[in-house]
Amino acid sequence: MEIEHIIQKLWPRVRKKHFYPQLPLPVVIEGGEDCALEIKSKQLSISSAFYDKLKEDMDGEEIVEAVLDHGITHYMYCPWDFHTHLTLYNEAKKVVRQKDQAHRAATYFMDVVTDTYCVKEKDTNIATLYKNLPKTGVHEVLTALYEKIWGEDLGSGGHEELVNRLSRIPYLDRKSWKKSIKKFTEVIQHILEEEWNDEQMSSHRKPNPMGEHSLENYSLEEIDQGLREFAGAVGDLQEFKETVEDLKEELEEKGYGAGGMGRGKGNPLDANLLYYMKLAESYTLPIRKLPIEKRGYLHPHAHRPWEIGKPFADIDVWTSFGKIIPGITQIWTKREGETHGEYEGIPDCLIIIDSSGSMINPRERLSHAVLGAVCACNAYLKHESRAAVYNFSDALRGNKVVLEFSHDKEQIYQAICRYFGGGTALDLDDITSLLANADNPDIFIITDMQITNLEKLIDFFQRIDNRVTAVHLGHNVHTTRFKDGMAKKKNISLFNVKNKEDIPKIILGKVKEYLNSPAEWR
Amino acid sequence: MKNPFEAFHHTGARKREIPLDTILKSKEETLSKILTGYEDLLKNEAKDLVWLMQYSTVIKAYSIAEKGIEGLEYTAEDIEEFCYALDHSDQIPYLITGPAGIYISALCNHAQEQEICLHLRDLTVKINLLGYRLPTDKKLMVQGNVGDFTGIGLDGGELIIEGSGKNYTGAGMKRGKIVVRHNLGFNTGHGMTGGELMVGGRIKGLGKIVGGKLYERDQLIFPNEGIKPFYV
Repeated sequence: MEIEHIIQKLWPRVRKKHFYPQLPLPVVIEGGEDCALEIKSKQLSISSAFYDKLKEDMDGEEIVEAVLDHGITHYMYCPWDFHTHLTLYNEAKKVVRQKDQAHRAATYFMDVVTDTYCVKEKDTNIATLYKNLPKTGVHEVLTALYEKIWGEDLGSGGHEELVNRLSRIPYLDRKSWKKSIKKFTEVIQHILEEEWNDEQMSSHRKPNPMGEHSLENYSLEEIDQGLREFAGAVGDLQEFKETVEDLKEELEEKGYGAGGMGRGKGNPLDANLLYYMKLAESYTLPIRKLPIEKRGYLHPHAHRPWEIGKPFADIDVWTSFGKIIPGITQIWTKREGETHGEYEGIPDCLIIIDSSGSMINPRERLSHAVLGAVCACNAYLKHESRAAVYNFSDALRGNKVVLEFSHDKEQIYQAICRYFGGGTALDLDDITSLLANADNPDIFIITDMQITNLEKLIDFFQRIDNRVTAVHLGHNVHTTRFKDGMAKKKNISLFNVKNKEDIPKIILGKVKEYLNSPAEWR
Repeated sequence: MKNPFEAFHHTGARKREIPLDTILKSKEETLSKILTGYEDLLKNEAKDLVWLMQYSTVIKAYSIAEKGIEGLEYTAEDIEEFCYALDHSDQIPYLITGPAGIYISALCNHAQEQEICLHLRDLTVKINLLGYRLPTDKKLMVQGNVGDFTGIGLDGGELIIEGSGKNYTGAGMKRGKIVVRHNLGFNTGHGMTGGELMVGGRIKGLGKIVGGKLYERDQLIFPNEGIKPFYV
């Protein structure tokens, strides 16, 4: 085909122009005549029908080069990554409050940024392409905007007031994109509404001639990383939740599940869980190792699929086809040898979390208790240790979740995120029976210490030798009482968390004088 | 030594100046001039970071504001930009909503456009005194909520607030029209002698009204039998 020949001829030159992006050779698809480009997982596909239609008015090579410039610049400049895309969508949504319109606003904004960048920085035929594209609805306004900000005659004009407002946006200032897209969306809001209403009536959607920007553009790794960055960047849980809920269908369709990647459909996405999961990935809590009797060295025992967050060092390159892709790449699962000796290791951990009425509901606002517990759980699971959960409110009346020691991250997260919102009392029998199921596990307790039977808890901790990391949220008479009660115990370390910045300061299993004399407190 | 990145030198780069650069540059310049005028006003009127809202101080501040913007060329978008700069920018040491409102009113009253629309929904502060002395040939539309003393001394212009206002809205207005889509606070229309004030929502309390017409949810509430004009 003629177009394929042109792509092959132009591709080296276009790649050089854009500083050699790591993209595969673009392909030709049948496609529709209204949409030039499709990007799926970095594969640019040019529509042959679009090319054939436009060839009557424009040189073939110019068409292909302009479309490629546009597609590559999306990859190289805007949105660049999934986090930026999510951020732009989120800001647009704040203005239009409607998913579809926010998607479109983000798409149009990214197109303006991309094309303006190309026109300013590269030698491109994008302006000629726009001159020959049909100009209706929002595209009429955008072409008029291009005329004004690029200084080219594109055969549009009009919409003076809108264009005046749009032309004052600093499209190429990356730092202002959050502010810029809001202004951009405000200006074109009424056109978006009209367009949407028309489509509702006619049930036919007119595609964006330069292609749509959806989750199809991103790989699962990019989505995972983008969500992690987005969780850290957004102000609160609700904002994250709203955006993820909007994209839930697409994420699930792509096979993205909360428990990790590559789990496939049928694992419904819980935005709350995902928020804590992604936020927790930004924090790494150190764990002091513990001398464990009869624990030998680890040796490779069996294979299992690699997931993001698992150490690269354990990847078995020989069975992974030389690729780092979750689900395909194989990782060695290591098992303890039988050699006896005093080796240091990480024990299992019992996470005790308070979800009484005095604690924040983790599904409404960012709960530092849940975030801290999730971070602690991650730290142990990363070392192949197990975690158990005891989530309590008024445990004596049945307001509790007891989860046995397990490696199942999602199950553990769900147990941690459960909120009761009632009174606060612990059932120490439950804790005793959980502790009995592991070999001297660590205990991580996070609470505001306003526990009805606090004295019993203090007494219980006085009697045990397990390493205890106690995290209290804020100061009150109960925390002081707990502190005083535990003052002489060397196996208990106390941390105070006031905000999320305090969480990385927690050291799990920190034991006073442990480094000097490990045997002393045992 | 050979530059290892020589192959990339000038590759595909054109870096040409486009009209967008000029537009943004001139926008920055205009904003900086507007900010200078505002700083001058603050230096004169709010030296101790305190500004007392009095009849004489408002008149004096307005005349200083008028001098500050003399000869300045700007558009409605520049005024809006200035409002956001007041809210977010670190270019301005402090925001005092009284002088800020007078300054914005002066900018609106002397703008070239007859119709000005300010999109102030995202402002975190509510600016006082917007629409002060709005003249006959002007129409000012504000999207978002405004502060106290909105549209005081209105002089024939049309002020439309797509949101709510606070206290003393329309105080001392002589002629013209104020439309507020949502609610207003206490002392609404205090000392107004003419013109129309139409409120789509509710009014917390009326001031001592001398003349003009006041509507609450399409109902004429002044003058009517229950509320008589206040004569000084």
